[in-house]
Amino acid sequence: MSVLLDVLRRHFPEFLSGFFVTFRVVAISLAIAISVGTLVGALRVAPLRALRWIGTTYVEAFRNVPLLVLIFISFLGLRRAGIGIGPWVAGTASLGLYTAAYVAEAIRSGVFAVGKGQIDASLSLGLTYRRTMTKIILPQAARTVIPPLGNLLIAMIKNSAIIGASILALPDLLKQARILQARTFQTNETFFWAAAGYLVLTLSATFVVRRLERRLAIRR
Amino acid sequence: MGYLIDPANWEWLVTGNNLRFLVDGFLVNVEIALIAIVLSLILGLLLALARISKSALLRAPAGAWIDVWRNLPLIFVILYLSLGLPAPWKDAYEGIVPGFFPEALQSGRVLAGILGLTLYNSAVIAEIMRAGIQSLERGQGEAAASLGLPYWKSMRLVILPQGLRRMVPATVSQLITLNKDTTLVSIIAIQEVMRHGRIVSSFGFFGGAQAPVLQVFLTIGAMFVIVNLLLSRLSRRLEVRERKRTGVAVERVTGLEDQVAAAADVT
Repeated sequence: MSVLLDVLRRHFPEFLSGFFVTFRVVAISLAIAISVGTLVGALRVAPLRALRWIGTTYVEAFRNVPLLVLIFISFLGLRRAGIGIGPWVAGTASLGLYTAAYVAEAIRSGVFAVGKGQIDASLSLGLTYRRTMTKIILPQAARTVIPPLGNLLIAMIKNSAIIGASILALPDLLKQARILQARTFQTNETFFWAAAGYLVLTLSATFVVRRLERRLAIRR
Repeated sequence: MGYLIDPANWEWLVTGNNLRFLVDGFLVNVEIALIAIVLSLILGLLLALARISKSALLRAPAGAWIDVWRNLPLIFVILYLSLGLPAPWKDAYEGIVPGFFPEALQSGRVLAGILGLTLYNSAVIAEIMRAGIQSLERGQGEAAASLGLPYWKSMRLVILPQGLRRMVPATVSQLITLNKDTTLVSIIAIQEVMRHGRIVSSFGFFGGAQAPVLQVFLTIGAMFVIVNLLLSRLSRRLEVRERKRTGVAVERVTGLEDQVAAAADVT
């Protein structure tokens, strides 16, 4: 036991910096995923067929490709094509665009979950299209969209470890654990503390999402 | 754009054995996925049954086990196992692996990959199955009990067939995630499609045609898209068939898979 605590005490700065790198990767990718995902989600429910097709293609392509392949394409592939981007950009863009496909689906099904009668009713009450959207549809859609988005955030925290383990080698929590492991050969101890770091992130995200869900739930 | 569609950059695809080499690698991924799927489904069902058992002695540890493995990054688990698994385990694996398995699966390193995929996905699938079983009306279990069926029989004959049917879509989308996640074993140096892709693109392998990284990995991505689209098509077909057979749409239980697939696209 004392060995375990000793490892943490000695290498706390490394673990902490890894923790914050993971946190930053997730925060940036989340911003990309939400903004691109909303856009693609809007494309999927657009009135124009061509736009819908673009949205569907995006979702099917990015949802079915492994994240690691996206990382290779964006980092090595684009570099050979003459578009050199750094590991941070490649990593967060890959994770963000990958998750965006799922975000788009969540948003689409959230909008569809609001009954068509709601739109008809609000339009017949004389609300403009825009007010119908902002006052009637989106608040109700948010309620159904929050739980899947929460799940995606948790998946994203876990997927962020792929960025550190891949050729990008961002110094995230997993990478730090591997560096410490290679230096000290204390495999169990270093991975224990890295696991604790990941569990802090995923479990607290779970907790926040559950609270939000309960608050948004319709009370009957 | 010109670079992307320039035929000279795609020539490698039809020269020599490049494509076959990639497909060979991809088959290793499929095989790893199949092994992990079978193991995860079995272990997942056992965990789910333990998780809803009447005895708290079984329920609490199962719940803790599921929550830990479900909330750790899969690549973390794989890397830890590849470093931390005792050597005798790997030797034992090399001893029992059937001879007809491809060479890439003969190495003891694969054990860490398969074990990691199984630990992680069985925990996720256990949660999906638990939700499927618990979504059934209480009356079903009560009716089975009042007909005199013992616990295991009512589980096997009444609860599981109905509960598990509801979790087919969620399970399939988790299996698609699992299929994609098999690429992670390339990080512990198993020779599968990602490694084969690197080889093809760095040496221009057979035939001497230059194989640019971008095009090689776009091709690999396309392979995954095809297989995963087929998988989701299959799940949808199953659902439609079920609806035709029983006349009612099967209620779905979703939200516990890693990345939630669309809820509303059954047509």
